[in-house]
Amino acid sequence: MKSVIIGQYIPGKGLFYRLDPRTKIIAVLLIMIAVFLLESITHLLIGFGIAFMLLIIGRISVIKVIKGLKPIMILLIFTFIFQIILNREGEMIVNHEMYLTLYTALFLVLAFVVWRVLVKFTRFRFTMFFLFVAGVYLILRYVDFGYQLLSPFNFQVYEAGLRMSAFVVIRLLIIITLSTVLTLTTKPTNLTQGLEKLMHPLKKIGFNSEDFALIISISLRYIPTIFDEANKIMLAQASRGADFSEGKLKDKLKQVISLLVPMFIIAFMRSEELANAMESRNFVPGNKRTRINELIFSYRDVIATAFSVLVLALAIVLKVI
Amino acid sequence: MSYIEIRDLDFSYNGKKKVLESINLQVEKGEWIACLGHNGSGKSTLAKALVGLLEPELGEIEIDGLLLTEETAYEIRKKIGIVFQNPDNQFVGVTVRDDIAFGMENLCVPREEMIEKIDFYAKKVNMLDFLDKEPTNLSGGQKQQVAIAGILAMQSEIIIFDEATSMLDPFSREELIKYIRTLHKEGLTIIMITHDINEALLADKILVLNKGKIEAFEETEKIMKKREVFVESRLELPIALDLANALESNGNATKIRKKLWEYALTK
Repeated sequence: MKSVIIGQYIPGKGLFYRLDPRTKIIAVLLIMIAVFLLESITHLLIGFGIAFMLLIIGRISVIKVIKGLKPIMILLIFTFIFQIILNREGEMIVNHEMYLTLYTALFLVLAFVVWRVLVKFTRFRFTMFFLFVAGVYLILRYVDFGYQLLSPFNFQVYEAGLRMSAFVVIRLLIIITLSTVLTLTTKPTNLTQGLEKLMHPLKKIGFNSEDFALIISISLRYIPTIFDEANKIMLAQASRGADFSEGKLKDKLKQVISLLVPMFIIAFMRSEELANAMESRNFVPGNKRTRINELIFSYRDVIATAFSVLVLALAIVLKVI
Repeated sequence: MSYIEIRDLDFSYNGKKKVLESINLQVEKGEWIACLGHNGSGKSTLAKALVGLLEPELGEIEIDGLLLTEETAYEIRKKIGIVFQNPDNQFVGVTVRDDIAFGMENLCVPREEMIEKIDFYAKKVNMLDFLDKEPTNLSGGQKQQVAIAGILAMQSEIIIFDEATSMLDPFSREELIKYIRTLHKEGLTIIMITHDINEALLADKILVLNKGKIEAFEETEKIMKKREVFVESRLELPIALDLANALESNGNATKIRKKLWEYALTK
């Protein structure tokens, strides 16, 4: 298992790769706050334009960012639809009469089947989903013949609904684009180191950020090793007749447990040996240590931080006016 | 006063059965000691006690004139490093560079000095081209080499190999043994815990542990003549010893041929 990718980091060159992780974390946080302060669609669209520009400046492939958006696509679509349907404030923009007849129902079932089949045999899941939603709308709107199952109802979109849904979607898009840029261009180890330095002041309230960062980086280091181990155990169990792919849910659950128990035992043994190895190399938790990987804050970081402060300041000014 | 002195050492894990019992041992600077014993004879326990990972019930350990206590453990671990059996369970860093640096980071070595030392010792263990590699891309032997580099970088003078070759393939094993020989020539004190009698033969002295007690501790050549030590401790007999015995008993050629044949079959 040599290809276990942890996080989304993709090696590359470009402005964002050369920035200090601390700068990136701070900038993302500041811009997120700014995005939540903005109250008009135009401003948000400008914000989105800036985020997009950052992608181009950083020479980050837009396709990769879109891939990063995929997991939350469903969430975005649902918020959009719910906002449009449920929010009934402001001026009415769309008022369409919809019908549900016997034929409509038939067409709907047909549309559903076609969608599922297409999803199974093509790779364009999201496009298919959009086409399906559009199809449902068209069927409800224009198939008005046949026996009426329900009396005709109105599909209404109000101005506030449209505005709010656009708001939510654009905000989320900006935030996720930015955080994807952060995770695409920062190694997990550097990210933890950045967090460690940023959380250093918390030492005063008893939170040791160095130990925290070490825990995270060791966990990251051992993920591939533990995957390897799981693979071995699964093979060993499969060679004695266990089947991980088939069977009822109950059987599957049993198999997962039979995998988890040895995994935990091995992990505990491993952690004890690791603790011994660390201690024998003079590691004492909480002691001062020097670091081989120093974070370097350069002029680029100053510019980037200044830029994000500027964005936030602008958002505050716009909010106040 | 010897370099390493163990006096009347007793150890048990739960206060009942003694894993180590009245161990007395002196090791001189620059010596290569091999420690043999069957499973559960207390070899690894002795190794862990030496680096202060386990606290003895009774007795003392003194290294380079420094008595091992909880307070001095930090100082003593600067002098003595340990390479464990499982190469994966001692690789702390995310990359080879990080791992070699780990011990030095704990000793607060300045960064510039660390960079120099990492290059120097990585070159020494032939890992200079792998500095940015992650452990998943390394073989077991390479991981052990990295562990050695990490210990050397801490300027340790004693290295304990706790069955460090047992999880390696024959080639990596040979490489590691070759490397241990170089370290020995350079004047490091080496304590090698092993199951393999043929590895032990390379050492200056052999320590045989049996049920937590010292069965024998002598120069390799001398101990080779004592068949009863190996039989008593349930250890594999070195072929040289067997052959010598066969020759001495009556010099019968058939008997020697039979022994060699047995050896060939078991290997």
